[in-house]
Amino acid sequence: MATTITKTETLVGKRIRRQEDPRLITGTATYVDDIKMPGMHHACILRSPHGAAKIRSIDIKPAQDLPGVAAVFTGKDVEGVGPVPCGASLPGLRVPPHAILAKDRVYFIGHPVAVVVATDRYIAADALDLIEVDYEPLPTVTDPEKALAAGAPAVHPEWPDNTAFLYHQEGGDPETAFKEAEVVVKQRITSQRLIPTAMETRGVVAEYRSAEKSLTLYSSTQIPHLLRTLVSQMLGLAENHLRVITPEVGGGFGSKLNVYAEEALMGFVAMKIGKPVKWIESRRENFQCTIHGRGHVDYYEVAAKRDGTVLGLRLKLIQDLGAYHQLLTPAIPTLSVLMMPGLYKFRNVTADIVGVFTNCVPTDAYRGAGRPEATHGIERMMDLLAAELKMDPAELRLKNFIGKDEFPYATATGLSYDSGNYAEPLKKALDLVDYHKLRQEQKQAKASGRLLGVGISTYGEICAFGPSPATPAGGWESATVKIEPSGKVTVMTGASPHGQGEETTFAQIAADELGVPIDDVIVVHGDTAVVQYGIGTFGSRGTAVGGPAVYYALQELKKKIRKFGEMLLETTDVTVSGGQCVDNRTGKSVSLAQIAGASYRAMKLPPNTEPGMVATYFWEPPNFAFPFGAHIVVSEVDRETGHVEIKRYVAVDDCGNIINPLLVDGQVHGGVVQGLGQALYEQAVYDDDGQLITGELMDYAIPKASMVPWIESSHTITPSPVNPLGVKGVGEAGTIGCSPAVVNSVVDALSHLGVKHIDMPMTPEKLWNLVHQGGQA
Amino acid sequence: MKIAGSYTLPVTPQRAYELLQDPEVLARCMPGTERLAKIGPDEYEMKMKMVISAVQGLFAGKVRIADQKPPEQFRLIVEGSGKVGFMRGDGLLTLSSASATTEVHYEGEVHVGGVIAGVGQRLLDTTAKIVIRKFFEKLAESAGQVVEAVAAPSSTPSPATPASDSN
Repeated sequence: MATTITKTETLVGKRIRRQEDPRLITGTATYVDDIKMPGMHHACILRSPHGAAKIRSIDIKPAQDLPGVAAVFTGKDVEGVGPVPCGASLPGLRVPPHAILAKDRVYFIGHPVAVVVATDRYIAADALDLIEVDYEPLPTVTDPEKALAAGAPAVHPEWPDNTAFLYHQEGGDPETAFKEAEVVVKQRITSQRLIPTAMETRGVVAEYRSAEKSLTLYSSTQIPHLLRTLVSQMLGLAENHLRVITPEVGGGFGSKLNVYAEEALMGFVAMKIGKPVKWIESRRENFQCTIHGRGHVDYYEVAAKRDGTVLGLRLKLIQDLGAYHQLLTPAIPTLSVLMMPGLYKFRNVTADIVGVFTNCVPTDAYRGAGRPEATHGIERMMDLLAAELKMDPAELRLKNFIGKDEFPYATATGLSYDSGNYAEPLKKALDLVDYHKLRQEQKQAKASGRLLGVGISTYGEICAFGPSPATPAGGWESATVKIEPSGKVTVMTGASPHGQGEETTFAQIAADELGVPIDDVIVVHGDTAVVQYGIGTFGSRGTAVGGPAVYYALQELKKKIRKFGEMLLETTDVTVSGGQCVDNRTGKSVSLAQIAGASYRAMKLPPNTEPGMVATYFWEPPNFAFPFGAHIVVSEVDRETGHVEIKRYVAVDDCGNIINPLLVDGQVHGGVVQGLGQALYEQAVYDDDGQLITGELMDYAIPKASMVPWIESSHTITPSPVNPLGVKGVGEAGTIGCSPAVVNSVVDALSHLGVKHIDMPMTPEKLWNLVHQGGQA
Repeated sequence: MKIAGSYTLPVTPQRAYELLQDPEVLARCMPGTERLAKIGPDEYEMKMKMVISAVQGLFAGKVRIADQKPPEQFRLIVEGSGKVGFMRGDGLLTLSSASATTEVHYEGEVHVGGVIAGVGQRLLDTTAKIVIRKFFEKLAESAGQVVEAVAAPSSTPSPATPASDSN
């Protein structure tokens, strides 16, 4: 029998390098495009070059005749395939039928019109050029406010007002709050459309085995099980005849929390031609056809007393939905409304959302999904209020925070904040930047003509999605933990990590609970034929909901380990620790490997106990978790060029207990970089004809390593009472905290010119004009 | 995209007007034109190669001339499409006489779509300016030759220079 390694040191809380990194950084990981199969065909998709048009006719004959082309399908061929699903429901929601290929009309640039399948990708691409589509271009509207104006072109002719839904939420008595206010601050604030730009574009490989009537889809997705359920419905295939495998996923950020036309389309094609088929999205397709994020025009009003006490909050939110609803499109702005009060004691709130159709690709969840917009709004408004009252923005925030003894705190929007100590990260961040000295330095700098600014953002977010009644699909997560006969441990998670590092954090949890070395544990995910049903990875839920499922499965397993231990040691009082089961009276022990071996060999079984060493747990969270934090940015605007230099970036995040500080830092860094992208560089721009003119990475600016400042990341720890690990989630925190801190710092730098607000992205051109036109853009 | 500008041609307005509507001259002067044939009154069929940024492709389309007021103005309506996208242009050309030369003022709007819109956007402006400048330079050259061949002018025509191209 193998030597038992006794492990005494715990791993949770340690900076452990990621188990998944060796394969990722040596180029040996398998992504969808790495999959090759005998006889595999390749698909390319013909897409609309118009923002809106009628399709008069399509001639596919010349494409079909090209040697190497196996098949060409158009909208009328796929009429039997179900629509692209919308999982969100709102009262009175208008849901346009969303076919997987357009039939007689296209609604946005990149709308799929036909698919060509050929023996190689080049032939398929060439064949696209041979398809003749006779379009009748129609007027388009791409700006959500213009779409609401009278006489605007109708995106869907049946709904000439372009309104998909109206949604109202209210708490407290906002009317009285505004009546009694001593000061009211108003501002229009936009959160521009962003392109998620995952490093790996989407891709699908589909393989159909006709004798078994079974379809396997390899897809770059965040939700393998939900994808299986929904695509099987679309294809009319029994769910247990569809297997979804998620190989390595090169980033999602919410853009792969979806069910796309191409996923069902490739299944359809594979079933039709009887050959495996691969489709890999090009970067241009990715920009045109994968969901975008944000797309808000928000009108805020804050009511307050002269002493800075906030009273009421009013929001009119115009959400650019694009032409269709993807999986969660209409639900995203409702998250903004839930989080609109931020960390402050707004007892009286009212919000109205208008969901607007435009001739653009749908918006949906993108890192933060609704909460970056809400945080950007409230954190800008707090600064506007501070400016109006001539109060220090830090002081105003500290005055209005929900107190640390007020948790759980019922918000005016109906949430129950789990735990918090909001002043602590702000005070820590203020200390880190030496705030009072910094303000003195700023005074001197401004006196000498330099445009130096300090920006504060104190954010709160809703994550760990979430209790099932409050989520479109289930909100639980699942885990199976197995001890193999050899004693090695396999953890299967229903979450679908794709860069977050749960192969490491879940291994840490399992290694600690069982007292085995981390190298004895592997974490398996992303194959519906192997892993029990799960929900997926999004909304900062991987560790915060998937982690507790692993934890509870381990507790179940430990019960069984004890039973076998007691039987083998002939005792009734054992402890599981250090990879052993120890008799508390005699000190005699058996190793986990011995116990596992005995459980599978089953020569003898404890009473009422099955053979084997496997436990599965589906964990339903009782509430969301609410991480928070404070980000402070010191920036300087170059008077001559309008360029923003971030001189300091201090992030103090509270995500509850930390399982692996290295991974938490990584999440904060990545999140902040995406927030910087929104604050300074990125914007998806459609022209009035519906053309996406930021159509590739030459024209859509994402931050590069050289553009990112040093991020000083630290933490406070307020454990969440919602789950046994005390974790809150950190995947989106950096993005949510970042953009208002950056904008507040730049507004602060230019405040003496009369600048009160700047919409993102704060491009050098925009800032140069502000500086040189006396604060008027 | 809006385009506007003006250019001076070393000929009379009447002659400039004729040159600007002569398919042979236009085919010779328009960069990338592979074919320009009359298919009806004031209507021409066109094949043209365009290179914008990393995108190049053949456009097939039609050119139509409308609102003619010789020798003062006419409207050019261009529509073309190819594998890399499509374009639609509508421009008004106004000719005014200045001693022995003609100032051609153009003003119009160009819509592009497809790959050229998504990829070449930043270079579209510049490309349009270059194409228009080259066109007028060649036209001026042609005009000079034609003028010399027909009737030698009393003074050497000044070399044509592009005036303010703006958008």
